[in-house]
Amino acid sequence: MTGNNQKWLDDNTFHHGEFWDILKLVEEKEKKGLKISLCIPTLNEEKTIGKEVLILRSELMERYPLIDEFAVIDSGSTDKTLEVASNFGADVYLASDILPEVGNKRGKGENLWKAIHQLKGDIICYVDADISNIHPRFVYGLVAPLIRREEVHYVKAFYDRPLNYSSGLRSSGGGRVTEILIRPLFSLFYPELTNIVQPLSGEYAARREVLENIPFPIGYGVETSHLLDLYDTFGLEAFAQTDLDRRVHRNQTTNALGKMSFGILQTFFNRLHAQGKIDKLPDLETFYRRFEVEDGVYSQIAQEVIEEERPPMIEIQGYLNRNQ
Amino acid sequence: MVMTIETNTKDAALESLLKDMPSLIEGLRENRETYLTDAVLLGEIPSPTFGEEDRVRLALDRFRENGLDDPEIDDLGNASGILPGSEGSSSILVMAHADSVFGSDVRHVLNVGSDYITGPGIADNAIGMAAVVGLPNLLEKLGIHLKDDLLLLINTKSLGVANLEGSRGFLETKQRPIRAGICVEGAEQGRLSYSGLGALRGQINLRLPSNYDWHRFGAAGAISHLTRFVSQVMEIPVPKEPKTKMVFGEMHSGSSFNTSPRSGSLRFEISSEDDEVVHEMETQVNELCEQYSMETGIHVMMEVVAKRKNCGIPFTHPLVKTTRSIMSEAGVTPAVDPSTGDLNSIILAGHPGVTLGLTSAENVREANESIKLEPLYSGMAQMITLLRAIDQGLCES
Repeated sequence: MTGNNQKWLDDNTFHHGEFWDILKLVEEKEKKGLKISLCIPTLNEEKTIGKEVLILRSELMERYPLIDEFAVIDSGSTDKTLEVASNFGADVYLASDILPEVGNKRGKGENLWKAIHQLKGDIICYVDADISNIHPRFVYGLVAPLIRREEVHYVKAFYDRPLNYSSGLRSSGGGRVTEILIRPLFSLFYPELTNIVQPLSGEYAARREVLENIPFPIGYGVETSHLLDLYDTFGLEAFAQTDLDRRVHRNQTTNALGKMSFGILQTFFNRLHAQGKIDKLPDLETFYRRFEVEDGVYSQIAQEVIEEERPPMIEIQGYLNRNQ
Repeated sequence: MVMTIETNTKDAALESLLKDMPSLIEGLRENRETYLTDAVLLGEIPSPTFGEEDRVRLALDRFRENGLDDPEIDDLGNASGILPGSEGSSSILVMAHADSVFGSDVRHVLNVGSDYITGPGIADNAIGMAAVVGLPNLLEKLGIHLKDDLLLLINTKSLGVANLEGSRGFLETKQRPIRAGICVEGAEQGRLSYSGLGALRGQINLRLPSNYDWHRFGAAGAISHLTRFVSQVMEIPVPKEPKTKMVFGEMHSGSSFNTSPRSGSLRFEISSEDDEVVHEMETQVNELCEQYSMETGIHVMMEVVAKRKNCGIPFTHPLVKTTRSIMSEAGVTPAVDPSTGDLNSIILAGHPGVTLGLTSAENVREANESIKLEPLYSGMAQMITLLRAIDQGLCES
């Protein structure tokens, strides 16, 4: 398996610098008749969304027409996210307005899932809204392997991940959940998936026919579930990954990462069971419990984290009607 | 008689350009993505003086992408390219400096809001560079075609001790007939520079000798000596006429709470409308250094890091008059501001030139430097209208 791993790493791991000639990518895309949609899921991102929309639209729609559609799908921001995004020319949608008949759930995964219905592209590229050092490579680096290699269905980003503290950048410490939760779990149950350098990165691009056939957890587990479901169906060959160099983003507290890990674990155990890797799964608790101490008094905090899932979009009648 | 007809024709041509300004402003607002994106991408690449390579490389890529002729980086690191005009008998130089006061260790992250961009160096001079880099695209989108060649320059080594080395070197080696030059600065809109101020930038280096006698009467560390010395320099009379200014810009010494430092330095600038005054003040500072050294046993030396002479074109020069008319049409009150920047290089090379500011800015040269977007569109329109006026021969005697 080591040999296979190395071969996959050699063949399916790219650096964005390999795709610097965007004009050439545009020609290849047009030759293959592909349409590409870009989706940025948002919730209160007024500080960074303006720059993302400005740069990605200007470079990848106006200067080089690599992207055919650019949408911001929002979970109900209370700041100026929508105003700023629309000011710089993005199509702006409220997730709750898309497929209203299926109701509204709150979470990033919900926005990503509804993007499949709202957007028209054959390839959908998802980019998080909190990237301080946004650059066109965050998109062309991900869609390029899909344009060039038909057998690739899903491309993940990986980076250097310095964290953005008020005192400046720290060059390590990013990807903590990856290193102390996901990588050990993958090593135990899905060793081949450990080849994916940053399984939780929020930037990825995939073909529509793949995205519409997988369920979407609406919360923390969406990236993990994509990997597990696609790996189960297609194997590692369906994946590729691109080094996008540095990504500067907000630091999250350890408490927030604990809650995130709790959500991911729900998704992970459910997949293990569904894929027959474990026999019995007890009813999983939905309360994430941790401690707080104030004036020497310990108290337990319990937060409910339910990893609800949306079914594959292909099973939604509204989506089927749209395709007709 | 012939002269009057020609003057009337020029007035009419300028009038027609001024009438186009409102639609030009709208066009520039609609096409803002082009230059705002370049401002952010250029501005997020650190570009300290003498370390501008990466930022200049992106500018050169843009020159290439925008189809300029002869895009190149010269020996001084300047990027240039030519947009050929329909006649091409002469060139108009439009330039912006690439260097910034912020070092590579500063986080160069810009934030974009609906009506502002904030971040180190956005006003000085990322937005100015973006305006120059984006000109070919903008002119094409706006349907503006020039008769003259447009010579675009992103010059290095402009600020501080660099002493305009980039622009001076470019103009010394670039042998092209240049009709006029425009220096583009991000701020401040309304700024009108048509003369370069005589200036001297100096650094005082103060050092305690290795055998310094700490028991001697008046013995002190470098910081005490530096402050005493500065107060003596401040006693040098600064004349009001001709207008003269002395600025103490930077002082360095010491490394901890309780260790007397043995060396220190002070950076300052003297600028004056009269070169003789600059020279006299330089002599006085040198004499003070000598006197202080002899009296205290401390080594005090002045190093001249940059020096330039007064130069300029008259207030009544057609280039200046036309620029004032354009500003007035844009609703901007011109603020005459002699330059110590790259305009000196243009004028000393024998070409008429002006420096324009594009927009309003706050906290310039601080980490939270910020530009406003709304005034930018008329600032850009002002630059393009001036370009058209030069191209039509309206800025010549």
